[in-house]
Amino acid sequence: MNVVEINDVYKTYHDTEVEVRAVNGVTLSFTKGDFAVIVGPSGSGKTTLLNLIGGLDQPTTGEIIVAGHRLSELKPSELIDFRMEHVGFVFQSYNLIPVLTAAENVGFIMSLQKWPKEKRMARTGELLEAVGLADRHNSRPSQLSGGQQQRVAVARALAPRPEFILADEPTANLDSKSAETLLDIMEKLNREEEMTFIFSTHDARVMKRARRVITLEDGKVVSDERTNHRE
Amino acid sequence: MITSIAWKNVWRNRTRSLTVIAAVTVGVFASVFALAAINSSIVQRIDSAVNEELSHIQVNTKEFRSSSDILNIISEPDKVAETLRKTPGVTDVTGRIIVRGIASAPSGSAGVEITGIDIEKEKQMFTLSGKLIPGTGSYFGADTKLNSAFIGEKLARELQIIRYILTAESLTALVDKGVPSAVTDRLKPLEGQRFTTEKKLTEAYYRLLTPKEIKKYGLAIREAAWSYREGSRVILSFLDVNGNQTGAAYRICGIFRTNNDLFEATSVFVPMEELRRLTGLEDGVYHRFIARLEENDMTDRVTPVLKEALPGLEVMNWKEIQVDLAMIADYINQIYAIFMVLILAALSFGIVNTMLMAVLERTRELGMLSAVGMNRRRIFLMIMLESVFLSVVGGFTGMAVSGIVIGITNHTGINLVKYSEGLEAFGYSAHLYPTIGADFFIILTVLIVITGILSAVYPARKALQLNPVEALRGE
Repeated sequence: MNVVEINDVYKTYHDTEVEVRAVNGVTLSFTKGDFAVIVGPSGSGKTTLLNLIGGLDQPTTGEIIVAGHRLSELKPSELIDFRMEHVGFVFQSYNLIPVLTAAENVGFIMSLQKWPKEKRMARTGELLEAVGLADRHNSRPSQLSGGQQQRVAVARALAPRPEFILADEPTANLDSKSAETLLDIMEKLNREEEMTFIFSTHDARVMKRARRVITLEDGKVVSDERTNHRE
Repeated sequence: MITSIAWKNVWRNRTRSLTVIAAVTVGVFASVFALAAINSSIVQRIDSAVNEELSHIQVNTKEFRSSSDILNIISEPDKVAETLRKTPGVTDVTGRIIVRGIASAPSGSAGVEITGIDIEKEKQMFTLSGKLIPGTGSYFGADTKLNSAFIGEKLARELQIIRYILTAESLTALVDKGVPSAVTDRLKPLEGQRFTTEKKLTEAYYRLLTPKEIKKYGLAIREAAWSYREGSRVILSFLDVNGNQTGAAYRICGIFRTNNDLFEATSVFVPMEELRRLTGLEDGVYHRFIARLEENDMTDRVTPVLKEALPGLEVMNWKEIQVDLAMIADYINQIYAIFMVLILAALSFGIVNTMLMAVLERTRELGMLSAVGMNRRRIFLMIMLESVFLSVVGGFTGMAVSGIVIGITNHTGINLVKYSEGLEAFGYSAHLYPTIGADFFIILTVLIVITGILSAVYPARKALQLNPVEALRGE
């Protein structure tokens, strides 16, 4: 079952007088349980494509359908609700809310969705345990290492049970050990919860774990390979 | 959750938030305290006007205020008095006879309004008897004769019944009060000299003392030199009912001190019987009836009733007599609100600046919040709450400090004797007891919350204009 369908999508930016095609006629689809990476050199359009899939940006032409929603038909306010309901984001710089504890960060989106408190707390506990931070409920981001913060960010993204997780260079700021731990956790969640992960990355460690590697060059898909890393 | 985040965000940059909160606190405190002081001055002025000078309602002929004719008497006075007494809200009524004349003493004379009063009734209806300066006699006490007069301090000064003399005893008393003997020694050249006014005494000791000593001991010196000649007499002359010049020597039975120089300078109170005898006005004839009401707030309600009941007479309440005071009393809350709006508007610039900095510093975070599904309404609400918290914490602290300081100064009073000459010329007391109604704090709370909300609009708009993709990319 396709979670994401991308049909002949273009994204053009007009920087001063130069027209930049960040995404240049991409057609792709992602199915439930994918553990896919989008790779490519800087400026190849990885992040732009991720932003388009996540409904953070709109394509210039083409169509993106996520969980049955044609994103181009959604109003800006509907797009915000769409993101909250269907997409989990993991950012390169963690982007946790510094004034909240790890548990509060994880529960944040659930509270926006008005989950009952007991249910929210149970899910938070379950996820912090899953990312190996069961003992850091009350730690503020400033009291956590980079790897731990990124694990909290993953837990936050997973909390409201989205359709898929978009992770933009999630290991870029992490040391090897933290990166491996994080990837272990994401692989485990992918396996156990059948959560779809779509990464953009330069990191060979991520590519090594992926079961699908999509290569972009100048905004075009130049290869889309499936591997059998899980096995 | 939004409320909790907003509250925590306020304390992210403690120094900056505390600076804004301190600014709001100081601004609110300074303005509330200033308003409480002004309010007390007005309340005291109204209280003094109603209880010492005017009462609530006055009734006289329509020509009485503009004409000095002694025959401008109220016709059918018993009927008028009865109407007044029977009007709901009226608690007490008294009649007065009033003549314009001249008060003379060996050293001066002044134009005055001589009021013949029913002493016992006036004691019940006015507090003027309580304004007697100690040592100047009594308010028509038991031993008072018929030809006695109760006059104001200002008039007594003009007639030079009150003088300023530094005697050997008063200089010793000054030392006992803590004035250094080095200071009293330098005042010795003034010993025994008579000064007809306070100003002349002040000019004399200004030449002998340093500015610091004058500032510290000036009031004590003036009080020590204040001298009243007991048993002084004043000649009151006026016209009788036949238009003939008449008058008599009156012994001063007491001198009163109020906050109103004009009232003090022009008012002479004498027993009604004696004034009737001299003017030839018959018993039961009055120029004016004075009515006292249960509550000051009833004034506006009772006045039209009386105007309708007494169509041939001039019925005026204290607000109509002292229009300036009434205007201040009626519009005081609006004046306070305008004052506070201006102060809070000034403070809001600081809050806007702080919130704007907070928004610009958190561009990436706001981008993330928008990315993960926090809608525009919630982002606006979060920023607005942060701004409201800043205003409210500062505002409530300011109100709490004001409440404490007002409570203390209401008990101890604020002494503005240095400026008494100017204040009393306008009828305002030189001793303030700051006070402000609880309703003012309610209005202020609303204004502070509104300030917080309005201060958030511009920074929040800035936050809402952020594009999540660009915000996430930038720092």
